[in-house]
Amino acid sequence: MDLDKIKKAIIDMDDGAVKTLVETALKEKISAQEILQNSLIAGMKEVGRLFSEQVYFVPEVLLASEAFYIGFNIISPLIKPQQGKSKAKVVMCVIEGDIHDIGKNIVKVMIEAAGYEVIDLGRNVAVKRIVDAVEKEKPDVLAMSSLMTTTMMSMTEVIKELDKMGLRKNLKIIVGGAPLNQEFCDQIGADGYGCDAQEAVQLIEELIK
Amino acid sequence: MNKILDVIEGKQNYAVFPIVGADHCARLLNLNFSEVANDGRKLAEVLEYGYNLYGYDMVLVFSDPYVEAQAMGCQIEYTPYPTIITAKTDKRFDRIPVIIEATRILKQKLDTPIFVSIKGPFSLAAFLIGIDKFLKILVKDTTAAIEAIDQALEFQKKYLSKLLAIGVNIFLGDPLASASVISPDMFEKFAYPPLRVLIDEIKDKRMIAGIHICGDTIPIIPMLDSLKADILSIEDIRPKTKTIKMGGVSTQTILHGTKAKIRAEAHMALEQAPIILATSCDVPPETNPESIKEMTRNAQ
Ligand code: B12
Repeated sequence: MDLDKIKKAIIDMDDGAVKTLVETALKEKISAQEILQNSLIAGMKEVGRLFSEQVYFVPEVLLASEAFYIGFNIISPLIKPQQGKSKAKVVMCVIEGDIHDIGKNIVKVMIEAAGYEVIDLGRNVAVKRIVDAVEKEKPDVLAMSSLMTTTMMSMTEVIKELDKMGLRKNLKIIVGGAPLNQEFCDQIGADGYGCDAQEAVQLIEELIK
Repeated sequence: MNKILDVIEGKQNYAVFPIVGADHCARLLNLNFSEVANDGRKLAEVLEYGYNLYGYDMVLVFSDPYVEAQAMGCQIEYTPYPTIITAKTDKRFDRIPVIIEATRILKQKLDTPIFVSIKGPFSLAAFLIGIDKFLKILVKDTTAAIEAIDQALEFQKKYLSKLLAIGVNIFLGDPLASASVISPDMFEKFAYPPLRVLIDEIKDKRMIAGIHICGDTIPIIPMLDSLKADILSIEDIRPKTKTIKMGGVSTQTILHGTKAKIRAEAHMALEQAPIILATSCDVPPETNPESIKEMTRNAQ
């Protein structure tokens, strides 16, 4: 089977087609890994590109993500542990006081589509919960999102707290959201800033090399 | 005195309104926000306090964006400011009488144009269905989306007629209609038609109609212009518009910027006169009053 068909079904936001096609591909003995890389991830990459070019908007991205997860959930149990070993673990959240999570959710799918394991703490997450999650999960990356000037300051607190507890040695911190910029990132001592979901993925790739 | 109307009618070059809502004013007075949001007299009192303190050119009756959604059954939580937590349920809680009472008091007391902020039916429908689900049905189940929007519009028509009967002006806020979220085609199909109906009703009663949408609005400026509102309050005021623009100082600058930066942004905005100098969205509650005074001073 032509894996481009699955890729196209994702771009077309056709979750029904993704399900049937992935099942057919598996019956034809195409490996789960190959389906993941060459159709599901490839599809989401294209969706990300269409979004940054304003061909797609949030509704299309949400629907394509749904189609992606339909396929992803079918094949993920079949990916052998070492072969499918997540490239890295990412803890994600929207900072306390902030319920804007549309952007975070888009970044999350793109990171997941790039093969990383994501632990999503959700939105409006208190500093302590973030620090606790880092302590418990020992992620390679902490990705924080904030859409409001009033709440972005609590990212500083998270970083200070992590420093204080000595939890930053093997941890890279990336930040994003509309009101942030590189300057703010440097100021609070984060490791990277990304302006969209594609940059988020690139950042992670570079930082954990 | 109505400097806002003068700008619209071309008799003045500029007026000023940093978008100060009840949250900031309540904070200045050390009042618990949920108390203010649930008591018409207190709501009027804090808004009057802000008006007297800063001396800007209008008053906006605005507590939070969820008044209508809550009246229709969405649940909200105070943290300490209201956040929406559920889609429509059977448990309605009606704060519209609170808004009406505050509006009446302010209209009677203050010699300045009073505006009431109400939600665009598109965003209200999104709250009712749940934002993520709503955005998805815009593509997958347009009939359900339009049904929800119609329901929101019917509700808003009734609310609007009560407000217009008091003789006040209206700001329609439609945050989810932003091109940061939906495409211009979706805007045209779903968000535009109900805005058109409400704006026509406001104009019919000869009151001032403003639209407020933040985030990216560049691709929808021609459509916004064709709604024929009197004021367009947007985040990025650089594009040319037929409607009088409102905006200029970013919410980030008003909160964290130096006085020099506030002045610079205000001056840049005033170069685009006729304009209503404003913040790009509502002033964050924590904003230092000196920053708001600095901004206001530049247009007095
Ligand atoms: C949609 C929206 C809402 C929706 C949110 C729905 C939801 N579930 O998310 C609703 C209507 C509920 C809402 C409510 C409010 N909002 Co609002 N909202 C917006 C709006 C118009 C668009 C945001 C959006 O979803 N964009 C689309 C997504 C895809 O983009 P994004 O979030 O920026 O994410 C991208 C990048 O930033 C990046 N990214 C994001 N996170 C991360 C993380 C990492 C690690 C990386 C690398 C990258 C990255 O990648 C994403 C994908 O490309 C913005 C306007 C704007 N300029 O952004 C205002 C805006 C964010 N809201 C604002 C405000 C003030 C509010 C309210 C407080 C209003 C009020 N008075 O009650 C409330 C309450 C919010 C709260 N307590 O959290 C202000 C914030 C101002 C400030 N203080 O800084 C804004 C900026 C408007 C403005 N011009 O002032 N809002």
